[in-house]
Amino acid sequence: MKEKIDISVDFAGVRLANPVFTASGTCGYADELADFANINALGGFITKSITLKPRKGNPTPRIVETDSGMLNAIGLANIGLENFLKEKLPIIEKMTAKVFVNIAGETIDEYVAVAQRLSAEKAIAGLELNISCPNVKKGGITFGTDPAQVAEVTSAAKKAVGGKILMVKLSPCVTDISVIARAAVDSGADALSLINTFTAMVIDIETARPVLANKTGGLSGPAIKPIAVYLVNKVYNEVTKNTKIPILGMGGIRNASDAIEFIIAGATAVGIGTANFIDPACAIKIIEGIKKYCARKKIESIKELIGTLEI
Amino acid sequence: MTKERIKSNKGPFTATVTANKRIGERFYRLRLEFAGAGARAFAKAQPGQFVELDLSTATLPPPDSIPENLLDVSSRNILLRRPFSFCDLNSKGSKTCVEILYCVVGPASLRMTTLSKNDLVSVIGPLGNGFSIPEGKKTALLVSGGMGAGPLLHLAKILKEKHAKINVIAIVGAKTAKELPFEMQKSQPKDFKKYKVKSQITTDDGSLGIKGFVTDCLLEWLNKNKLTAEDTIIYSCGPEAMLARVAEIAKQHKIDCQISMERMMACGFGLCQSCAVECRAAGSNETIYKLCCKDGPVFDSKEVVFRL
Repeated sequence: MKEKIDISVDFAGVRLANPVFTASGTCGYADELADFANINALGGFITKSITLKPRKGNPTPRIVETDSGMLNAIGLANIGLENFLKEKLPIIEKMTAKVFVNIAGETIDEYVAVAQRLSAEKAIAGLELNISCPNVKKGGITFGTDPAQVAEVTSAAKKAVGGKILMVKLSPCVTDISVIARAAVDSGADALSLINTFTAMVIDIETARPVLANKTGGLSGPAIKPIAVYLVNKVYNEVTKNTKIPILGMGGIRNASDAIEFIIAGATAVGIGTANFIDPACAIKIIEGIKKYCARKKIESIKELIGTLEI
Repeated sequence: MTKERIKSNKGPFTATVTANKRIGERFYRLRLEFAGAGARAFAKAQPGQFVELDLSTATLPPPDSIPENLLDVSSRNILLRRPFSFCDLNSKGSKTCVEILYCVVGPASLRMTTLSKNDLVSVIGPLGNGFSIPEGKKTALLVSGGMGAGPLLHLAKILKEKHAKINVIAIVGAKTAKELPFEMQKSQPKDFKKYKVKSQITTDDGSLGIKGFVTDCLLEWLNKNKLTAEDTIIYSCGPEAMLARVAEIAKQHKIDCQISMERMMACGFGLCQSCAVECRAAGSNETIYKLCCKDGPVFDSKEVVFRL
C-alpha cells in the first residue's frame, strides 16, 4: 500500500521527488544541513540569498525571539556570487534535491548580472528572486511592494535566466498580495513563493530602544502560519488556479499537518524555514508525515490534494 | 532510493536528566546523561564547545517560586533552542555525562529549573570550536566573570588531567559574593579546589575576595609575577566589557589569549547567521563578521573588534 503513494510533484516543469523544500536563509548555501539530516531526501533546496558582491550584513543583535516566532535582520549577509560559484557550486553539483538559488540585488542590473551568470550552471534548477527582504536599505522589499517595479525586475530577470525556472518570492507586507502576484506572473514568473517575513519590531522596555540593531526585522515562525495559509489560498484562487504556475507555500511550517494545510490551500510545494533552526531534520520528518497522511486518507498522488480547499 | 549522506552526527540527541542542583540563589547545575550515538558524540567534546537545548516543553515553576523580576514575562512560550557551554564532562563505559552551569535570566532558563531526574531533553551538539592548548605553555591564567566560569571549569579539569606540567591559576570575578556561580569550600570555589587549581576571587563590592574588577586583579598578577610572555596563555569568558579589557591586557603583555564569546543564536550551527562577531580581516584594515557558533565561540582575542 505505502509504496503506491506518489508524493512527487511537477514544479514548473521540473519533477520533484516530494513537495518539501528548505527555505532560503535557513539551510545555508549547500550541504550545511548534512550534519543532521539526509539532504538528498529533500524535494527542493533554496540557497541563502546571493548578491553580486559579498555582503557583511547588519550589526548584532540580528535576531530576537517572540511568542511563537522570531525576528531576524541579517541584512543579506552572503559570500557573493564569485565565492558561491567557487566554493559552493561543486557541493551543489553532488546534491540530488532540485537546487534553487535565491538572488538579491540593490539594482535591476545586479539581479540581471547574477541571474545571467547562474543560468549557465547545469546543477541549478532555477532561481528564486528575492524582492521581499525587509532588512536592507536598498533593493529587497522596495522592489516587491510596487507592481510596476515587480514587473520590471521580473521581466529583466526572466530574460537573463535562459531556460531555468524563475520563481518570485513575495512579501506579505502589501495591501493586496494578488496584485503583486499577478504582476510577477504577467512578467514571466514561472513560479511564486510566498510568504517572506513580516516587517516587525520588538522593544526593550528598560532602554526604550528596539532590540535589533537594524531596529526592525522580519517575523517568521508559527506565529505567521495562519496568515501565510490565507495568503497562499488567496493567490491560488485569484491568480494561479487556472494556470500552470505553482506556488511554493511557506510561513511557520513545523510539521506535516502544517505543510498539508498549505497544499490544500493551493501550494504545489512547501518551504520549511524557521523550524530548521529548532530541528534540522524536520523537513525530512515532514516528508514522512505527508506520506502517512496520504496513506491514511487513501490519496494515491499528492497532486490530487493541491488546492482542494472546500468552502 | 536516495543516497544516505550525513556528514557527522550532532543530534538532536535525547539526553536524560540525572541532576539539576541549585547553587546559591540564582545558579543551577544541570547534569545530562547520553547513551548510544549521543554518548559517542559527546565523549570527545572540548571545553568551550556548546550545546543547544530544546526547553520549549519544560514546565514553568509555580508562580510563588518565580523570581519577582520574571513573573510578568514568565508565560512567554519558547520557540528556539538555547545555547549553553558545559562546565564538566565525564565519559564512562557507554555513557557520557555533560554538566551545564546556568543562571535564571528569562523564561527559558526559568523552565529549565523544573527539569528533574529522568526527564528527557533534546540536545544538539557538541557545537563550535573549544579552547585549544598550544604546545610549550607553562602557565595558564583562567579569567572569568560571573557565569563565564562554566567552560573554564571544564578547561581547568582538562589542563590538570592532560597537561599536568602547566601551572593553572584561576581569577574569578563577580559583582557580589552572591553572583559567584560556585559551591564554596572554605571561601574557595569547590571545583577549582578539586582540580587543585589555585583560585583568586574578586568582587566589585568587596563582599568576598579582593574588592575590584577581575581585570585589575589580572593586571596586578601579571605585573607582580614576571612571566615569560611566550610561556603564558590567558583563557577568558565573561561579560563582553570584561573580555575587551582582558584582550587589551593580553595585547599589552604580548600574551596569547583565547576568549569565549556570547551572542543571540537562532540555531547554533551556522544556518541563521545571527551570531555575528566583528573580527579584523587578515592583512587589511577592514573588518568582517565571523559566526560565534561556527567560527567560535572561542576566538583569539587579537582578532575580535569590541564596540562597547
